Amino acid sequence: MSPTTEHQHPVTVEERLFSLVLALIATQIGLTKNEILSTVQGYRQRFQVGKDNSSLERQFERDKDDIRELGIPLETIESPDDPGSNHHLRYRIPKGLYDLPADITFSADEIMLLKLAATVWREGSLSAESRRALTKLNSLGIDSTDPVVGYAPFLRAREASFEPLSKAMDRGQVVAFLYLKPGESAPRRRVVSPQAVVLHEGRWHLYGTDQDAAATRTFLLSRIIGAVVALPGTGGHRADDGQGEQALAELDALWHAQTAAIIVEQGTDAAVRLGKRGVQVDSNSDSDSGSDSNSDSDSGDGQLVELHYTDLNILADELAGYGPEVFVRSPAALRDAVLLRLRLVRDSHAPFPETDR
Amino acid sequence: MTAKPAAFGASDKLTLLLSLVPYLMDHDRVSVTTVAEHFGVPAARVRDAVNLIAMSGVPGETRQYLHGDLFDIQWDEFENNDTIVLTHLVAIDDSPRFSAREAAALIAGLQYLSALPENGDTDAIASLMAKLTRSSTGSPSQLAVSRTDGDEAISIIQAAVRAGTQVEFGYLTARGSAEHRRVDPLRIESVDNDWYLRGWCHLRGAMRTFRLDRMSDLRSTAVPADSHDDGVLLPDTLFVGSADDTTVTIEVPASALGLLADYAPVPTPTADGALTRAKLRVSHYHGLKRLVAGLAGVVTVVDPGEARQTVADWAAAGVARYDDDSGGRDDGSVGRDDGSVGAAADEVRP
Repeated sequence: MSPTTEHQHPVTVEERLFSLVLALIATQIGLTKNEILSTVQGYRQRFQVGKDNSSLERQFERDKDDIRELGIPLETIESPDDPGSNHHLRYRIPKGLYDLPADITFSADEIMLLKLAATVWREGSLSAESRRALTKLNSLGIDSTDPVVGYAPFLRAREASFEPLSKAMDRGQVVAFLYLKPGESAPRRRVVSPQAVVLHEGRWHLYGTDQDAAATRTFLLSRIIGAVVALPGTGGHRADDGQGEQALAELDALWHAQTAAIIVEQGTDAAVRLGKRGVQVDSNSDSDSGSDSNSDSDSGDGQLVELHYTDLNILADELAGYGPEVFVRSPAALRDAVLLRLRLVRDSHAPFPETDR
Repeated sequence: MTAKPAAFGASDKLTLLLSLVPYLMDHDRVSVTTVAEHFGVPAARVRDAVNLIAMSGVPGETRQYLHGDLFDIQWDEFENNDTIVLTHLVAIDDSPRFSAREAAALIAGLQYLSALPENGDTDAIASLMAKLTRSSTGSPSQLAVSRTDGDEAISIIQAAVRAGTQVEFGYLTARGSAEHRRVDPLRIESVDNDWYLRGWCHLRGAMRTFRLDRMSDLRSTAVPADSHDDGVLLPDTLFVGSADDTTVTIEVPASALGLLADYAPVPTPTADGALTRAKLRVSHYHGLKRLVAGLAGVVTVVDPGEARQTVADWAAAGVARYDDDSGGRDDGSVGRDDGSVGAAADEVRP
């Protein structure tokens, strides 16, 4: 028994896309748009000879984008006789660039590790990307070793700007967004060619070329206000390799270069949590030859902790949360920023006037 | 924490079709259930995909999708024995490459995992990342995650999970009291840079979640952990409300609600659009005061008055730390951030 070639059922999206991929891999010289629309399953049913097929053409444009987003190398070839003409463009998928390189293999341990890496993304578009990557990996038919027990690592990319920025990077577009810089009261429009999005110290940063300053800048995704808009007419400007690593290296250098000295009260939340992050130093640094075991009995005598940081305002937010458990020694700008926040919280939580209702 | 996996759409279905073909080619006879297990998808989805593959192909010379231009399977085996035998291939016979973003998602996941002690073999991770890069269509360098230093606590707990033994540690609660805990460790969880232990707390006689950075003097014991395999299920969310939670009303700009997502605020519509009122459930005000003081100028507690007062007192006590300090100024003339440090923090240009 074999199925009939004429389908009675409506052609699903995946059947149309699958048929398009197969047709474009099978062709050596490529197919013109007209050939595709008139012969490929899912298009041919809707193709009207000699009539307007513009909605079908728009469908084809969207399908091309969807296929490319899956990492399938859909190429456009210009006709040598008629360069620049849209009409004679040919489309194909070179099999050599479609196939996974033949020498790539993964061990069972590596598959296990990759499966765990994929579970790190449990929400948003990166979970979908990971899932598709695993499906492709599974096609190799390698069984994984048993997973490591007792782990549920989880990374979030909750900022609304994450998605449009990733898309813009994929397409090499320039974006514009409103950015609220610390110390400024109003956001300012920034035009940026995005190169990488990196997670550093638990925060997502955008690394890119600020078009106005014509230099690279790093932006915190959490400070991007409102929509990220891709500028029309831009695109195809692929970022160089290694931009992500470059961005992380710069953030690391900044982190190491900036140090805050704070006093944390013994036995408090601040002492336990910040103490683990910082370089602990004896608070009486001149007389540190003695033991540190009896220092916690002196009330008010806290412990000096030195913390590296990348963003003064973010550290100030965090330190303000600890209230009286933390005293900032230096830098002065950090001390001022923490004090400003504490006063703001104190004053905005003053009792309501009795009569006001 | 509401983790919603993205829906299984047409792109996922296409990926499954393209991935099934080389797999089926390498497996002469394979049952639908085996395939479903290997790919981690429902059996019905595998059957749908095989049905579609078997009826698909290329237009061919005649452009009529004739029999020889289509994939084929042994239909009897498929329909009677739920077994797939691929008999004719068209156009593709190899696994597809990763897209740049697919490879980037896995690479960033690997970078994050490299903080875990048993993934400390950086050479192995680096070689795996290089393979992913070579297997992708575009350059997957647009996403990167910094290496966090693996906490020693992770190793201790992980060893105890494997050995099935209890751990003990001093734990400072959010209320500020220090308690000695003995816990049957079940799982280590992390959200971004925060790590948690989930397990059965013998002091409370219940499942509890502990922050690793609030533990002190963590050590593993020789005492076997009780079995919690049956009866005790770990909820998916890290934080679960309890009956004695208090409801607090806050005021917050609508755009900043995301900052509080862990506390699942319930917004209520208000007349003026700029600020939203939202209700939060908190177990006590000790956590609330820290949360609000850390979001100065963003979140204001409206009700109840006792909660407002707790927050105000907390901030005032913080301000007081600077009163008797020669460097402190309580005349309101807090030095403005002149940008010399803040600017570097905001826009990094080393």
